Amino acid sequence: MTILEERPQLPFEAHEPSLMEIVPGPRPRGIVKFVTSTDHKQIGLNYLFTALTGFLLAGLMALVMRTQLIVPNNHFVTENVYNEMFTIHGTIMLFVFAGPFAFAGFGNYMIPLMIGAPDMAFPRFNNLSYWLYLGGFSLLLAGFLTNNGAAQFGWFGYAPLTEAIHSPGPGADLWIVGIGLTGLSGIFTAVNIITTVFTLRAPGMVMFRMPIFVWNILVTMFLILLAFPVLTAAMALLWIDRHLGGGFYDASKGGQPILWQNLFWFFGHPEVYIIAVPYFGVATEIISTMSRKPVFGYKGMIAATLSIGALSMGVWAHHMYTTGAVLLPFFAAMSLLIAVPTGIKFFNWIGTMWRGTIVLNTAMLFCLGFLAIFLFGGITGVILAQPVLDFQVHNTYFVVAHFHYVLIGAVMAGFGGLYYWLPKMTGRKLSEKWGKLGFALLFIGFNLTFFPQHDLGLRGMPRRIETYNAGMGWNFLNELSSIGAYITALGVLVNVWNIFTSWRNGEIAGDNPWDGQTLEWACSSPPPDHNFEALPPIRSERPVWDANHPDMLTKVGH
Amino acid sequence: MKVESRTVLGAFSFLVILAVVYWVLVALHGSSTERSGIAMLVFSFSAYALLGTYLLAQYLRRHGIPRAEDRFDATQEDGAGVIDYFPATSIWPVAMGLGMVFGACALVWGLWYLAIGVVLFFGAVFGWVTESDYTEDVLPGSDPDELGSSHGDYASTGAHQDH
Repeated sequence: MTILEERPQLPFEAHEPSLMEIVPGPRPRGIVKFVTSTDHKQIGLNYLFTALTGFLLAGLMALVMRTQLIVPNNHFVTENVYNEMFTIHGTIMLFVFAGPFAFAGFGNYMIPLMIGAPDMAFPRFNNLSYWLYLGGFSLLLAGFLTNNGAAQFGWFGYAPLTEAIHSPGPGADLWIVGIGLTGLSGIFTAVNIITTVFTLRAPGMVMFRMPIFVWNILVTMFLILLAFPVLTAAMALLWIDRHLGGGFYDASKGGQPILWQNLFWFFGHPEVYIIAVPYFGVATEIISTMSRKPVFGYKGMIAATLSIGALSMGVWAHHMYTTGAVLLPFFAAMSLLIAVPTGIKFFNWIGTMWRGTIVLNTAMLFCLGFLAIFLFGGITGVILAQPVLDFQVHNTYFVVAHFHYVLIGAVMAGFGGLYYWLPKMTGRKLSEKWGKLGFALLFIGFNLTFFPQHDLGLRGMPRRIETYNAGMGWNFLNELSSIGAYITALGVLVNVWNIFTSWRNGEIAGDNPWDGQTLEWACSSPPPDHNFEALPPIRSERPVWDANHPDMLTKVGH
Repeated sequence: MKVESRTVLGAFSFLVILAVVYWVLVALHGSSTERSGIAMLVFSFSAYALLGTYLLAQYLRRHGIPRAEDRFDATQEDGAGVIDYFPATSIWPVAMGLGMVFGACALVWGLWYLAIGVVLFFGAVFGWVTESDYTEDVLPGSDPDELGSSHGDYASTGAHQDH
């Protein structure tokens, strides 16, 4: 190719302090740093570890549920406690863990590094977002301390069960304002990241040279801008219903309970992609680095992300097929269409690995686990997208199994992201030995938990029942599922243990432990204030690779 | 700015088409009571129209002269000078956040929480806006050695331009 020959050799030496000069102010440490820092790296770490705390707490709630269901007619917890468990489990997993872990945690930390920016566009605003997020999380948990307990109506809080007469007490109100605050935090983060990506890129970092991760977060942020305000509005209407007698969702006052479902799922389906799309980005980065190849079909990947984002705005009512109040053909067609760009992504991930020199470390293993699990969740998604099939399994454990495959599939890539990026954040690698053990336990445990639930659903077990009779034919599958849950918990503990021990005692990573490709590997580990002492020339979507391998420059197509 | 504005305006166009198709189909087949979906789609494309038009205006006002980050052949020297002002540590975001959390508590337990929330919130607004000592005089190309303060940093690249 002539392109390769025409490219000039671009010398790059890291840690040459002449290119960027920073005049630092005083830098506090410890708890003062945690509270007041406007550094995107500190805030990103705050998000990551708050989200992980949420994951552990909500996982504990899942264990309570699985313990209750392990044998028929069990009385491990009361009905009320069981209802609180599945409600807050779902709420925390979706609003506190899965989404913010990726777009606010990894996003905050990595986006300025990946586009060569000194910080986020609005550093103090960024800090405010974190406190709103932590405040929302705390208020959600505070529900357990109230007299009537936390909210008990499931994470999507259908009307009229949420009305004051059916769910009295402050638990439900805390659920409303907790979600409201985390939603507000999400909107602020979206504004911040979009501005950062549009205005703070390094010279030469054109839009079509940004890493796929940055593109995916950008699309996610645009989805948040549309989805979260609708959620906030729905919550405000619900609050007015409960306290001021508004009657928006109350049929006896001329309202429509179905309005809640429309508003909630207009947020709720984009939310699924708000959760999943950043993890697609994490997986793309890891697969590309660990295969030691550029991303296959870079622009196709971006186009697929954009189409997923666009289509996801038109599929909300596929959660509402059985209400009989929605346009089945429209939503079925739109939902099936989303499988196409997602398929393109799978094709490109495989194409990236194809004939690459694959490094099978823990991060890559998690990504392969993500590919397998997410693909399975996608296939059951195609089943559920068809009204004729959805009517049979709606609100059964089949649906539970489906969305856990989708979400835990995505979160697998998130764990891969921890193994991939924590060396950049802490300067130390995580232990591969513990990591592989943790991955194996998680992968086996997860599949053992949720695969039997498909069959449970087909055998008619509804979701959210707190116990069941022995003669239903559900005993063995529930037992398997609960044992799987304990193995999954063990896997999570091994990974958490690994993070904490490696933080202090891990192998020193160096600046570029994986021979990475994108800009975050051009600064030291952990990066200094305002990130870069020197930037390599940006001539393709993997500038660090080009600087380190002048004999294997990335082909550029423009 | 070209790619940015095109991306947002492309999403806007898609949402317009989506809204029209959905509206027609609901009118033909659906229940006449389902109006929330159309309302939400209209608000969605309106939001993108606002943002997309702003980005387009930003692109047009440069009269075809691209920014350094929009040029394929830009070097680090092209982006030399002060990038922007980045405030350093600040106590005001957490104060404002606490104020908003107290405001949220007022929605649950009663109005007296609002008093604390309002004091914290507006106190934080005051502290926030008076804290920064950003100066408008700092233009790209300024010498960063003369800048910097106890409240924030001017991050810059390529301090020594070849002129």
